Parts: sequence; C-alpha cells; structure tokens
Amino acid sequence: MTELIKTSPLSDAQKMMKPLMGSHRGMEVALSFEGPKAEQKHKTILGVTDVSCFARFGIKGAKAGEWLAQQGIKTPEALNTWVEGAPGTLVLRLGMSEFLVEDQLIGKACAKLQAFDQANIQSAYQVVRADAAFVLGGSEVLNLLAELCVLDLRDSVLPSNFVVMTQIAGISATLIRESLSGEQVYRIWCDGSYGLYLWEILIEIAQELGGGVVGLTCRFQ
Amino acid sequence: MKLLKCPINGTRPLSEFIFGGEWRDMPNPDTSSDLEWASYVHYRDNAPGIKKEWWYHSPSGTWFIAERNTLTDEVLATYLYSNPPATNVEEQSA
Amino acid sequence: MSMRLPKQVGEWINRNKKIRFSFEGQEYTGYEGDTITSALLAAGVKVLGRSFKYHRPRGVLSLANHDINALVTDGVDTNIRADVTTLTDGMQLKAVNTDGGVIKDKRKYIDSISPLLPVGFYYKAFHKPARLFPFWEKVIRKAAGLGIVNFNYPRINKRKLNDFCDVLVIGAGPSGLSAALSAASNGLKVILVDENQHLGGSLTYDFAGEVASRKTLIDLVEKVSASLNIKVYTGAYAAGYYQDHMVPVVRADGITKVRAKAVIAATGAFEQPPVFHNNDLPGVMLGSAAQRMMYRYGVKPFNKGVIVTANAYGYRVALDLLQAGVNVSALVDMRAEDKQDAHALELANKGIQIYKGYCVYEALPSKGKLGVVGALVCPYDPLTATADVKKAVKLECDGIAMSAGWAPAGALLYQSGMGVVYNNNIQQFVPNRLPKGVFAAGRVNGVFDLEARVNDGLRAVAEVVNFLGGAVKALSVETHKGPSPSHPYPFVHHPKGKNFVDFDEDIQIKDFINAAKEGFDNIELMKRFTTVGMGPSQGKHSNMNAIRILAKIRNFPVEKIGSTTARPFFHPTPMGHLGGRSFHAHRLTAIHAWHQAAGAAFVDVGAWSRPAYYQKAGLSKEETVQQESLAVRLSVGMIDSSTLGKVEVCGPDAAEFLERFYTGIYADQKVARSRYVMLLDELGVMVDDGIATRLSQDKFFVTISTANAPMVYREMQRCLQVWKLNVTLINVTSAYGVINVAGPKAYQVLRKVVSIDLSEDALPVGRSAEAKISGVPVRIVRAAFVAKQAYEVYMPTGYALSIWKLLLESGKNEGIRPFGTDTQRLLRLELGHPLPGIDTDGLTNPFEMRADQALEMGKPFFIGKRSLEIISKKPLNKVLVPFVLAADYKGEMPQDCNLVIESGVIKGRVTSIGFSPSVGCVVGLAYVAPHQAELGSVFEIRTDNGKTAKATVVQAPFFNAE
Repeated sequence: MTELIKTSPLSDAQKMMKPLMGSHRGMEVALSFEGPKAEQKHKTILGVTDVSCFARFGIKGAKAGEWLAQQGIKTPEALNTWVEGAPGTLVLRLGMSEFLVEDQLIGKACAKLQAFDQANIQSAYQVVRADAAFVLGGSEVLNLLAELCVLDLRDSVLPSNFVVMTQIAGISATLIRESLSGEQVYRIWCDGSYGLYLWEILIEIAQELGGGVVGLTCRFQ
Repeated sequence: MKLLKCPINGTRPLSEFIFGGEWRDMPNPDTSSDLEWASYVHYRDNAPGIKKEWWYHSPSGTWFIAERNTLTDEVLATYLYSNPPATNVEEQSA
Repeated sequence: MSMRLPKQVGEWINRNKKIRFSFEGQEYTGYEGDTITSALLAAGVKVLGRSFKYHRPRGVLSLANHDINALVTDGVDTNIRADVTTLTDGMQLKAVNTDGGVIKDKRKYIDSISPLLPVGFYYKAFHKPARLFPFWEKVIRKAAGLGIVNFNYPRINKRKLNDFCDVLVIGAGPSGLSAALSAASNGLKVILVDENQHLGGSLTYDFAGEVASRKTLIDLVEKVSASLNIKVYTGAYAAGYYQDHMVPVVRADGITKVRAKAVIAATGAFEQPPVFHNNDLPGVMLGSAAQRMMYRYGVKPFNKGVIVTANAYGYRVALDLLQAGVNVSALVDMRAEDKQDAHALELANKGIQIYKGYCVYEALPSKGKLGVVGALVCPYDPLTATADVKKAVKLECDGIAMSAGWAPAGALLYQSGMGVVYNNNIQQFVPNRLPKGVFAAGRVNGVFDLEARVNDGLRAVAEVVNFLGGAVKALSVETHKGPSPSHPYPFVHHPKGKNFVDFDEDIQIKDFINAAKEGFDNIELMKRFTTVGMGPSQGKHSNMNAIRILAKIRNFPVEKIGSTTARPFFHPTPMGHLGGRSFHAHRLTAIHAWHQAAGAAFVDVGAWSRPAYYQKAGLSKEETVQQESLAVRLSVGMIDSSTLGKVEVCGPDAAEFLERFYTGIYADQKVARSRYVMLLDELGVMVDDGIATRLSQDKFFVTISTANAPMVYREMQRCLQVWKLNVTLINVTSAYGVINVAGPKAYQVLRKVVSIDLSEDALPVGRSAEAKISGVPVRIVRAAFVAKQAYEVYMPTGYALSIWKLLLESGKNEGIRPFGTDTQRLLRLELGHPLPGIDTDGLTNPFEMRADQALEMGKPFFIGKRSLEIISKKPLNKVLVPFVLAADYKGEMPQDCNLVIESGVIKGRVTSIGFSPSVGCVVGLAYVAPHQAELGSVFEIRTDNGKTAKATVVQAPFFNAE
C-alpha cells in the first residue's frame, strides 16, 4: 500500500522556495526557508509563518461547548473570544455555537477530540477543518495589517482575548493576537482554498517592508 | 464607507456585509389567493421610509435584520431575526 | 534676472542644497524645498504655460494647487502641477499645452480668433451634418486635452492603508492647529492633515509686514510635534468625505483611509480673483500667491507691483510686499467707503498712493502678452461694474497682486451633507447645518480675524468633546466685525472681454451672459454650458464668481442661486493611487499546481480557478476537448471537482429542512443513497441543482454547483433562521477534495486502490459508500452526470493531490486522461443534462425545462411551490429540447445564444451546443415554442452571419452506450 502524503494548501508554492522540509503531524511542512540569520531578522521586522499544519478540531451546534467541557477542554464564556483551553491548545469561540480547537506546536488536545463519535452525541457536530493559518509578528506588523484589514487592530483597541471575524485582503478570515514565546503576534486563519492567495500577499508586503518568511523552526525555537 | 452594526460581531464597514433584500412577511401559501401571492413575490412599494432589511455579515455568516430609514440612510436598530427588540415582539403579536 | 530674495525667516527652501532641472530645454537650478514654479520664478521665468482654449501665456495664479495653466510633464509623468510639486534633481520639464514650446506656441493665433469661438461653439458648430462629425471629432480631440498619455507608464505599487482617530482635523492653519492641540489636550487621538509640505497655513505667509509674528507659528508647531496624541500628515490632502466619517487622505505614495469619530474641517478659503481685462497675464496673481512666493520660497513675485483689492487683505499684502523689498506702485481699492484701518494708515505713511473707489480696468500686456507693463486704473461704479475710462490713470508695473475676496473651501463639508446660508456681513456661504460629528472652523466657517480663528478651533473641539460623550463648557466666537472680507461683485466690464472668470477653461464674463441669454440660467445648466468649474481646479477660483454673475444676471440674491457640489476627489488623484495594490482573491484546489504543470488552460468559475482543458501541442481547443471527451467515452478520464459546494445538513430536522428548501422528498431516503436536489426561488425560477447523500438518520451531505455555492449556503442559513428547525449547517466546501473518475474503465482503475467492492451490483448509480484509499477515508458516490459509469471520490483536502496522483498511476494502462470543465460540459450535454445558469436564465421555471419529475407538488411546502401552482395554470411559452444538426451539416456552426426563428419571429434560443465525436454530429439544447417541441420536428437557428441552420428535435441522452 502506498503511503499517501498529506499536503498543506501552500505546499507547492513553498517547495518552489526550496525550503528545508520536514513533517508535522503527518503533514509535509517547510521548516526553514532562508536560514536562521535571515529569518531571525524577518522575525524582528515582519515575519510570516505558515502554521497550516497545526492540528485542528472544529465543533458546531447548541451543545458544542458543553461537549468540549466534558472532554476537559476549557471553553471561552463570551462570544468571539478565545482561551488557552489546554496546555498549548487554543480554543476560539466563533460566534454563538461554534468552536475551533487548535493544537499549537506542543498542544495535544485535538488527537483526543478526533475520537468524536457522532452516534452518541446530540446537538454537536464535528466541523472538518481545512484552514490555511499564519503567524505574523515583528515591529511592522500593524503597517502590514493597515493595508489588508479595515479594522483598528492596535493593542489599545483590540483586547487580547478577542476573536475577530473580518475580511483580510478581501477574503473572510479569523484573527486574534496572542503572545508566542514572549512575542506579541497576530494569528490569522482563512479558508484553505484562499491560502495560497493570502500567503503570496503577506509575503509580498512583508518583503516590501523589510521582512519575509519565517520557517517553523525559527518561529518556535 | 458606511458602518453597520452586526449584532454578534459589532460595528463593521459595509464591505463586510451582503444585502439580503427587504424583509417581508410571507403570506400563508395555503390560504392566500393567487393575486395576494403574486403581489408578495413581485411587488415592492419602493417608498422611502423605515424598512426592515436582511443583512449578512459575510466573514462570520451572520444573518440579521436592520431597521433602516431609506430616506436618510440612517440605521435605527439591528438585531437577530430570532431576537427582535421588545417593541417588535408586540408588533408581531398584534 | 534672479528674483530670489535674501533668506526669509522660516522659509521652506534649503539654500545649501541646489537642485538642477530643465524647463522647455533650458537648464536651471533651484533649491531643495522649491516647487517647480518657485524655482522658475526665482530664475526670472514668468511664462509657465499656455491656457487651455485660447493658448494665452499664463504664469502664477494661486501657488495653492489651482494653477492649472502651469501643468508640466516630466518623462512619463504628465499633468504635474508646477505650483505645488516639489522640485527634484534632474527633472526635464515641458509645458503640456503648447505646439512648439511655451513662448513660440503655434496655436497662440487662437487667441486672436476668439470672437469666432463663443461659448457653446462646439455644441452648435459640429452637430450637423452628422456625417462630418468624425472629421471634426479628430480635429477637436487633437486641440483639446492637456498632455499626452503614456501607455507604457510603469505600474508602481501605491499602498492603500487604513488609519483611525477620534478626531480628524483637516487643515493646519490657525484654526486647525488650535483645534488639534486642544483636542489632544482633551485626551483625544488626533490626525491632522494638510496639503502643504509644512504646517501653518496662512501663518506661514500672511504677516502684514510684521514677520516677527512668525514666532506664534513656531510655538504652535513645536507643541503639535511634542504631542503624543497628534499624528500629522503633511503634503497629503483630504480627498473627500464618505459616510460615517471616512476620509481618504492622499499621500505622495498612496492613500490612507482615515476613519474618525468626528471631523473638523478647518479647510480655509480660496482667494478669488477680481475680474478685469487681461487679469490672466503672467505677472498678475492673487495677493496670497505673492505672499506665499516671498515667505515660503524667498522669491520676489515682481519688481514693481500694483495691488488691486476689495478688502482689508490687500493692504496686508501690500505691507508684506514692501517688507520684502518689492516696489509698490499703488494700491487700488475697489471700495469707495472711507473707512481707514491701521494698515491703510501705515501704507499711506509709507507714501504708497491709494486709489479709493478705483478698479484696474485693464492690465497692459508686454509684447506677445508674455507679461505686464502697466495697469490702467479708473474710478469704479460697483452698481454697473463699469469703469469711468475718461478718468483713467496709467500705472507702470511688472506685476499685479489681486485680493478681492474668498470662497470657502467647503467641498468636504458639502459632501458630508452641510446646509449653507449666505452671510451678507461677509458675503460668503457659511454652514448653518452640519451632519452629526462634522464640524467647521475658521474661514470656511466664516471666521476671518486671526484671534477669532484660533478661538473657533477651540469652540469646534468643545463641540467634538461633547459629541463624543464628554461634558465641557460650550464656547462661542464673536461674529465678524468691520468691512466684508469679500467684495459682493468684483467685476469690471470691458468691451474687449478677456476678463477671465475661470482660468482653467478660459471663460470670460460675456460667456456667462451669452449662456444666460440662451436659457442656461440655472447654476447647474450654466456650469455645463459654459464648463465653468469643470476644469482640473474644479471651480476653486471660479465657482463663487460664476454664482455672483448669475445672481446679477437674474437679479436674485446670491443665496437663491445656490452652489454646485464639488465631488470627490478634492484634487485629481492618480489612477495608481486609486488602484492600490491589486487584490484578486481567488480560490485554488489542492491539485492546482499539478494542473498548471500539466498545461491546463484555466477558467474562472465563481472565485475558483479551474482547468477548462489540458492544452496539447498542435491541437486546437476544440480538438483537445473532443479528445478528452473520447477518452471518457472509450476508456476513462478524471476531473478535479473539488470546487463543488458541499454542505452538511445535520440534526433531527435535517430531512424536513431539505424538503422545505429543495423540490424533492428526502424524509424516506435511505442512508447511503443519493437523490437529486433542485432549488427554486420564491418566484418558482430554477436556481441550482445538486445531489443530497444521506450519511445517517440526521445528517445529509449536499452538493451545490461551484459558482452558486456561496449564495445557496447563505440562503440555507437565512431559511434556517426563519424556519427555526433543529438543524446545524456546516459548510465543508474546502474541507473535501473531489475527484470524478468516469468512463467504461473507471471501475477497473478504482478497484485497484479502493478498499471496497465497487461493482455495479454492490454500488449502483444513486448509491454511496464509505471506503479507504491507502488507509485514507474516502466517500464514493455514484452519480451519472458525465457518464453512466462514473464515481465521485470525496477525500480530506490534504490528501486530494496524493490520491489524484495515485489514480493517474493506477489508470496508466487504461490510458486515464484528466479532463477540464469544457470537456465536462460537452460530456453532460451528450447525456442531455441541462446546467443551471447555462441552460436556464433568471426567469426559467422547471416546467420549461421539462423537469416536472423533480417537483413534489404534493409536499406541504417548498420554496417556489406556491408560484409554480400559479404558473402551472398558464400555457407554456417555451420548452427546452435536445436537438441535433444533420450529420452532414456543413454550414456555419451555430453558437450558444443564437436565436430560434420561425417565420421571422423569435421563438427561443440555443443554450448549449457542440460537436460530439461520440454521437457523430452537432448536438445541443435549445428553447423552442411548445408546438416545435415534438420529437422529430424541425426548427431553424439563425447563425451569427445570418444564415439558417435546420435542427431536429430528438430524445436525450444523445449518447447512450452501455
């Protein structure tokens, strides 16, 4: 039996950049693009990291939050907010009755949640996710967002636990800001089919502003 | 660009919304005459004034009702269809 | 001769840095900080351009971004406004509107034939005879327009950014600066915008000779730059007002869209020219232009000047000129009143002759009208606007400064919905009603005294604070005292005309009189007939005078005439700025890069990019599509259908939801079975179709056609709200990849890799099954859309590419061939399946498509049912039929949308057509009249070149292989 490779929405575009490849949770991913020195510089000015490979679990329905709580996952109380639902795991409440759970590099919650058995659950339905997801950080990050999003995303306006469902570069996307290894970053999720489009725009602007791609290795070292 | 308040996501620019047409009360299809039904599907009075309109917040997939004065383009209230303000409940039950 | 003055306090130029440039082939140097105009004037160049219509020599008028006759080109950049554009090294400038150079312009003769070219001349002279118009059009087009468009203009990314503030202050003159500082000290976040390169507005040039007052400005600017609450945009203009306080600010390198909670327009006023014969000669300029030149750029406007004024401002200009060392020949005051203010006394003390109640009757031109040699001044009768030429006095001068009044720079306020009233005290329109959150301060608000303008800024901020929910004491500002800053009618008639009102379009007083005589005596009509205010400066120096003239002609008060609205943008804005970065959002499937590598020709379907077919060297599109279709008919092909809309309808009421939404029955559908779904709108018009597969008792998986998917999903969400059913909708369009494997050998290819029995007995058409490919869970649905033996394989998107490649490998021996959407359209046509949106339009009902079998009219409700009940009582007027052309048809190939004609009457149209290699003839679908729909009946299609093709109605499917 042939072993099938799982690809990210950005796999092909990234391969053209000849990165150092690796694997994360069964998905082939680019670990490093331009070497630690250049990427470290990007990270300070304006770094874009593709984290589409993170494990995700979506659930929707009147009892979705209740079910997550039963699994020992902390869920946000208020609409459109997020919490760290388990160590290394983000839980975003999308509107009233939908949740997105994401294991960041070290999170372990999703694997357990995947065992979801619809037959025994009422009013909660798994949402199969296919996101493109990004980390944006650096001193120029607001300059970039000012071109792509019409909302005021400054710290003074956007509380750190808010989930913003808005348009970025003309497409629907979800955005939060979080602290990652002590650095303030923005996280963006969009429909995977728009992933390449958004990735190319993020990189184009980042490069104009003196930043660029940051591989997974550099981002999470 | 105009701002509109989504009851779930807050105040956003109009570019995040899709207009869903005027909200109109559907006559009972079983009891309405052909004429009543035809005027429901075909006729709009187009008179300026306060209208209830369907609006859709695209990034979150939220439908809601906006009460808008089409003469002044002022939005008086927005709310979920399932959760109209108290005055509207009275109106509907009346 | 250099006109550069000694260093001025606070000047904007850096005399340590020289800038080299050329104009009309001559080399010049200026200083860093110069504009093109100031550098040229400093070098003694007075003629900067030629006027638009009469090709008269022109120089400086305002130095405030409405010197439209001084437009220059520099390489690919055209229509550069010399009066405000900062000089850069190496510029090679040319005046735009000349034929053979600005001095020798071959078209200058037009000025002498101007009596033959009255206003409206073009409209009247060339509209008859019509056959000659194409000839005249060429001549006129050559004569009209400024500059030459360069089609090789490079695309340079101009960023469009968003910014936010509590209060946006537009204009950084005395009112704007005081407003910004006051707002900042109230804790508000302020954005302060000014179109000049430096802050200060009139504080940078209007001193009435007391340059020491410059200190006030320096203090204010220091405070502004020290404030953390104020963000300053200079060299950037607020281009328009949009709803809910959004104001695009145009910067040199892009646009910033500022969203404010409140807006203060401290936009000031434009100085307006008095109108007299030859008021357009190079050397005749507005008083404020002369001031700007001296104090911003250290340039003498002229050596010996006459000042013509109709307000107190002219006296300030005269004092400023004297202070800078310019000879003032005399001051001519068009007002007869005997009030003498301090400045008038000061001038008199300095021995300057003042002509009270006089006007400039005409400016005397030098040879070729390239400059001024004197002014003829006469006693002035304001009632008749005439001069007493018998008492004319000739004054020698090489320049004239004009100060007759102001027009408020109210464009943004008008756009916001301001109401105005005409204030006779100051002869100006002032706001009397402003929309919520919009405030005006300073001259635009009718406040002229310097101290009062500062206070008006404070007053506006107090109102802003209270508007934003604060509670501060309201302030008021004293109304204007003393003589009016504007003259009510600053015109001087002259038998030879050439007394210009609009310098952009060369419009004279008589043009307005003629327009009114012809009946265009409403301001909107007059604007269009005379074109006043329609030039690049958009009426900034001409609109107010036009209104005053029309008021006089009609004998109305000015207020009755009203004003035209200046629309965005405030200044012309380059297309590159408006375009910004190009965002073309598009969706790609997981297999996209493979398609690209395989030579796919892509087509946009909704937001998706899909392969239409895979190009093969030496083959035409049609041949390729036919080959791909033959592969499916004879062996096996596969298509990436991942773009299909996919929705999971979950919950106890899922079947009920589908029964209300679609036309069919779903309650009794068994698990792992698929049924056709058809969506209508409330009118009974066919909207979309797809397949619903039941996954469990309370879960259906529904497909939607690619382009309709976003709209249909939205409608599902809306209906769910209204119907209040226990259903959860999940859009999984991007979560699953879809590969459709079709053709007689599809089974052979799939069975090598799929974990379950796919045979016809185990999985007939209409069934679905959960299976695995190499351990990856997939769903297989038998849908006979493009071929009878076809399998739709659904898999998690992350595995779509790997499975696609695996299937290609697996089908190598069978000759598996990928095909695109063009081929798919031909394949489904061969099976006779109509496509919504292709074979239907916005009015097509299911009866016309003969799709009655999809309608469960016995159900209590479905969208469109009630309308169908009404429609069904009426006779059909068209019917969709399958047809063929004769196998030996040799005529022109009919196209989609060609008409079906019977006895010269349109009966319908072709919706799909193509040559089917499998059937061996041209097949298609068309709407025809019901009486033409019988099997075997023949109808006529009119082809593009008017010929007739005979078509025969047949039974679908056209292709019916087992």
